[in-house]
Amino acid sequence: MRDVSIIGVGMTRFGKFEDRDMKDLGREATWKALEDSGVAMKDIEIAYVANAVGQQLTELKGTIGQHVLTSAGLFGVPIINVENACTGGSTALRGAYMEVASGNCDVALAVGVEKLFCGDSAKSAQTMAAGTVYAKFGFMFVALYALQLKKWMAASGATKEHFAKVAAKNKYNGSLNPYAQFQKAMTVEEILGSRVVAEPLTQFMCSTMADGGAAAIVCSKKIASKFTSKQPISIAACELVSGTYNIPGEPHEEITTRAAMKAYEKSGIGPDDIDVVEVHDAMSPAELRLYEELHLCKPGEAGKMIDEGHTTLTGRIPVNPSGGLAAKGHPISATGLAQVYEIVTQLRGEAGKRQVTNNPNVGMTENAGGWTMDDNAACAITILKK
Amino acid sequence: MAKKQIPIEEGLFEEAASSDERPYLIGNKCKECGLTAFPKTPVCPRCMKQDTMEETKFEGKGTLDSFSIVQAALPGFKAPSIQAYINIENGPTIWSLVTGCEPTEDALKMGMEMEMVIDKVREDEEGNELMSYQFKPAGK
Repeated sequence: MRDVSIIGVGMTRFGKFEDRDMKDLGREATWKALEDSGVAMKDIEIAYVANAVGQQLTELKGTIGQHVLTSAGLFGVPIINVENACTGGSTALRGAYMEVASGNCDVALAVGVEKLFCGDSAKSAQTMAAGTVYAKFGFMFVALYALQLKKWMAASGATKEHFAKVAAKNKYNGSLNPYAQFQKAMTVEEILGSRVVAEPLTQFMCSTMADGGAAAIVCSKKIASKFTSKQPISIAACELVSGTYNIPGEPHEEITTRAAMKAYEKSGIGPDDIDVVEVHDAMSPAELRLYEELHLCKPGEAGKMIDEGHTTLTGRIPVNPSGGLAAKGHPISATGLAQVYEIVTQLRGEAGKRQVTNNPNVGMTENAGGWTMDDNAACAITILKK
Repeated sequence: MAKKQIPIEEGLFEEAASSDERPYLIGNKCKECGLTAFPKTPVCPRCMKQDTMEETKFEGKGTLDSFSIVQAALPGFKAPSIQAYINIENGPTIWSLVTGCEPTEDALKMGMEMEMVIDKVREDEEGNELMSYQFKPAGK
């Protein structure tokens, strides 16, 4: 396997864009990544394009990658369409990474694009829930998060105040991110006082619908300097796992932990070496659980991590400097690549007002999605280093 | 047209055949390793072999693993709902709606005994009642 670098990243702002379609969003993300990388469109040898619900919610009924990328001006090369629920963006990156690592190609493109606002928010909500077998019973992902967090609160000692503190941290980070859907800082009191969605989760702890696109360009590390004078960011691990069956009475390792352990092992990088992290917090409080599941702290210490400020922009290990899913927005398949965008930007020191202050060398993303047989359908962990 | 009660999905549960019997869930169990599943799964996730799963009944007793009072709802559904995980006796942990109690934090307690009932989930466009297994606090 060859060493692979990310040499360009790009994303649209996330939000509600009624006058923009998926082609438009995908084109903007792709060209921003190209311009960031110094790579010409003609140099792209293969592309992976992630989308989750475009077939249900937009006029595009198949080969969405080709529709998006021909609109961006890419013709002739292989385009692989990826659907992996919320994990789609990272799955597309993994595809592009593998093409280059294997020696099949020198330069590859990964794009994630999603359009959730379709003029009928009821249809959007139904479509997002329809990925699970329980949708017909009224199952909602927010309820799933709530159930799991409630159980975890009992075991960990974490409180609703801890939940609100994480959400407030992320809202603040989002207020500094020009690409975030919600750019308004909020206090712990405002978050706790907002409408209860599913006890113990309140409105401002939760992500909502968003449109958006994100892209990354990867190449063989050896040729990175041909295209750009910027610091190439190495992919140290890009691991993907699927869910496992939860057998009563037997320990069930969290999908996030399984994915992280694989990534730590492959890269030779441990949790203590990581300087900045983006996690999949469709509901902000899930971030607390992830501190423990990714071994960023010891079991039972997640509350302390937020109380002592270790994960703020100026902390020891900043988490979700972008604002995370609830502030930045969560256009399903764009999320994983937007996380990668954030880590690359932070490692290069280009994050402006939200730049973390610990001079990071190593960053990580965690991107989970879907639900099958009592576990997430998929989880990806990507470790990036200078 | 008369309104009907329709199972929300076939093959998940069976109504009580008489007043002294109880409704049950239709799951399956691996004849080699004993793993249980609900809803039924065609291949044992532990043995990873075909043709080892046999249909079995879960008698509809369990304990409340975790629950949430959910104030949001999908189109066609009413809020609030109570959504929960139930540890089924001699079976797996399953997701279920909770019925038969007020949607308040005080009405339920993690670990409490629950029992299955067949109850309405919602009405369809024609006004038919879509019925499903649900769980309620035991003895209530």
